[in-house]
Amino acid sequence: MDTFLQVTAYGLLQGGLLALVAVGFSLVWGIMNIVNLCHGAFVILGAYIAWEMQAWIGLDPFLGMFVSAAVLFCIGYVIQRYLINLIVNGPVFITLLLTFGINMALIQAMNLLFTADFRSIQTTYGSNSFAFGEVRIPLVRLLAFLLAIIITLLLVAFVKHTRTGMSIMATGMDRGAARLMGIKARHVYALTFAISAALAGMAGTMIATIETFDPSKAGKFTLMAFVVAVLGGLGNMYGALVGGLLIGLVQSWAGQYLSGTWVNAIAFLVLIIVLVFRPNGLVGKAFYAARVEI
Amino acid sequence: MPTKASFSIASKSSRTMVASVLGTIALILALVLRFQLPGGELRAVSTIFMFIALSQAWNIIGGFTGYASFGQVVFFGMGGYFTAVVMLKYHFSFWLALPLSGCFAAIFAILIGQPLLKLKGHYFAIATLGVAEGMREVVINLADLTGGGAGISVPIAGKFAKTEYLGDGGFYLLFLALAIFSLVIGTIVSRNKFGYGLRAIHQNEDAAAAVGINTVRSKVMAYALSAFMTGIVGASYVFQQVTIFPERLFDVEITVLMIMMVVIGGSGTVIGPLLGALGLQFISEYLREHFTNVHTFILSGIIILAVILIPQGAVNYLREGIRTKDYSLLTNIRRYRL
Amino acid sequence: MSDVPILETRGLGRRFGSLDAVSDVSFSVPAGQILGVIGPNGAGKSTFINLVTGHIKPSSGKVLIDGKDMTGQQPWTIARAGVARTFQIVKPFNGMTVRENIAVGILYEPNGTNRMAAALNAADEVLHEVGLAGSGDRMPGELSTADVRRLEFAKALASRPRLLLLDEVMAGLRPNEIGPSLDLIRSLKARGTTVIVVEHVMKAIVAVSDRVLVLAQGKVLMEGEPREVLADPKVIEVYLGHRYAKRQKGNE
Repeated sequence: MDTFLQVTAYGLLQGGLLALVAVGFSLVWGIMNIVNLCHGAFVILGAYIAWEMQAWIGLDPFLGMFVSAAVLFCIGYVIQRYLINLIVNGPVFITLLLTFGINMALIQAMNLLFTADFRSIQTTYGSNSFAFGEVRIPLVRLLAFLLAIIITLLLVAFVKHTRTGMSIMATGMDRGAARLMGIKARHVYALTFAISAALAGMAGTMIATIETFDPSKAGKFTLMAFVVAVLGGLGNMYGALVGGLLIGLVQSWAGQYLSGTWVNAIAFLVLIIVLVFRPNGLVGKAFYAARVEI
Repeated sequence: MPTKASFSIASKSSRTMVASVLGTIALILALVLRFQLPGGELRAVSTIFMFIALSQAWNIIGGFTGYASFGQVVFFGMGGYFTAVVMLKYHFSFWLALPLSGCFAAIFAILIGQPLLKLKGHYFAIATLGVAEGMREVVINLADLTGGGAGISVPIAGKFAKTEYLGDGGFYLLFLALAIFSLVIGTIVSRNKFGYGLRAIHQNEDAAAAVGINTVRSKVMAYALSAFMTGIVGASYVFQQVTIFPERLFDVEITVLMIMMVVIGGSGTVIGPLLGALGLQFISEYLREHFTNVHTFILSGIIILAVILIPQGAVNYLREGIRTKDYSLLTNIRRYRL
Repeated sequence: MSDVPILETRGLGRRFGSLDAVSDVSFSVPAGQILGVIGPNGAGKSTFINLVTGHIKPSSGKVLIDGKDMTGQQPWTIARAGVARTFQIVKPFNGMTVRENIAVGILYEPNGTNRMAAALNAADEVLHEVGLAGSGDRMPGELSTADVRRLEFAKALASRPRLLLLDEVMAGLRPNEIGPSLDLIRSLKARGTTVIVVEHVMKAIVAVSDRVLVLAQGKVLMEGEPREVLADPKVIEVYLGHRYAKRQKGNE
């Protein structure tokens, strides 16, 4: 029973992080119908920036993540505004290929700039932990989890209650109508992508405080973002939270109770089953129809 | 007008003439090269042939039918592992395993195609990617059968080796044959009733159904055909490599290469993926040799530029240019930009 | 000719959530007639066509074609039974030439040719009929709005249907372009084709229809001869509003 509680706690904590990785990905997919294959690279890049900030001026990662976010915000804005916007109305595989190309370039750049060895961010408080009864909770994981939840909630509040946020939602619902209302769709798209990249950067920093990272892990995070976003329903930010927690739990339990790496196979099986039976996600409804209407 | 129609049909048959003459010359050249090139170059050219076959296979489902199969590599892997397992455990000859592995991949495609081909756009792309990633995990975890993460080796010597290893020259001819086979299939599909049905589905599924096309069956058949063509290439690749690992055989990069070749060359045409495969593979090999450090950079730069400047692919760009006398890349960018 | 109607619906209905888009529509069309279907916006005209052709599955009722139950069949099965349609929002195959657009329909007709060259030749005849004779080599994207409508019409004609459902093929046409379309519909009737014309243009309906069916809020409001339908106060009311109908009555 204790093991079960411990595993569940770990799964939930991990799930919060997955949610933060996926929420930006889901936003971009839901608003612009773009599957961003370089999302995982943004996560890793965020981790590297925070690592370098700590190594360079001794900046604590929980502050360094804002630097990561700022840098990635700019990178994201430029990528969307000057590259992806140029083909945003094209067929599916065009956007997939473009973001894949950008992903290749980013990963190679990181390989050259930072060398491809494993890194992680060490802090003085990194090994501290609490005990709730029999369950032990590492401080850093808890902090990362709480931040992930807070940021997701802030994002929801931003989108629902600010002018900019509402213009993002409006553009996602009907771009033509939004443009007629005077919303600058090119800017809004770039902004949406920038926010998504910034969130990925923050998620990357937090991941770096609890596990090792290197550029080859980018693909794993993109794939995780897929699974979580699909489970939650695209563009649905609460959905990403639910999806993230769910996947975190399933992974954690399966890792404990199943042999080998069957856990990964099961994650993909869940993905496919959800896609086939509830293509709009477990919670709510997506903007873009998933099925052929016959 | 009937005269106009017969004119365009005549020009079509003269195009066929030109194509078959060029094809024959290319074939003779390829056969001559077989005896001229050193081993390393033979292997490099074999890889080009392999990608010609793979890109034609992807073109059937992705180019003609318009379903972006982002997990196409699953058929490569399934075909490959089928061959490895039946050759190692059941001592099949390679020549028997080859067509069977294609059928195995096709049957798998029919099974997963039924539910997945109801999804459209990104959802189909992601679902197929999920299938590919998932099957890799399954292969890793079925270690008793597949050797798991440690890999599996095809017998090429000893009493259980029913087919002798083909060697560089032999594999060169095998992959050449696969490339020709896929080009022939691609050409047939591009002209026959089935192919026109697929193109109609690509452009509007409702309208296609309204003119009497069984869209469900056509899509599943296209997927199965594409899987068969991919599966036999996977089988041949496994025999060539002898020892294989799940990471390589289910590598998403193989899918991406297929898609890139088709899209950059011109999807929905036969010549486009052929040129895309030739061009990209040459450039990639050249860059790897001369700019080892930055070759990924240059390659990704080419992808990004190609996708933005000629999103419809080189061949379609030229065709449209000839029709409309407008070769401006700006017109191209205007098409899909916000 | 037998007296089995070519198309019959019995209590046909479809709900979307809590909305009855079409409910309890029963009627029949004898072979060789032209039936006009009118109704205000949102009356369920397009849904009705989609229900007949299998693009939307009915939630209740039956569709019989030649007396055979075809309820819930797939669109292609119904198409192969000799039923063709146009779409209100036109759906050309944009990546093919105009001629190829038609040829696809010819290839997939059950008794048609399987050879592309023959289909392309036959396509020119159809293009000629609808007045697109010179446009065979153009792409749909290069056509005018009116010509795209003609292409939509031609695509439906390609399979030489016995029953043709036209969903607002005359919308967006100029008055002088409507005449040729009406002539075409009449010539189809002469050939023995049954036509169901869904249309907003009243004049067009009156000019060609043998009978008219009026839909309002998903239900059959009335059915009858074109003239008696148009003179009916109930029809005037749903089209032009309650007050207008009253005033008409007062004037009489």
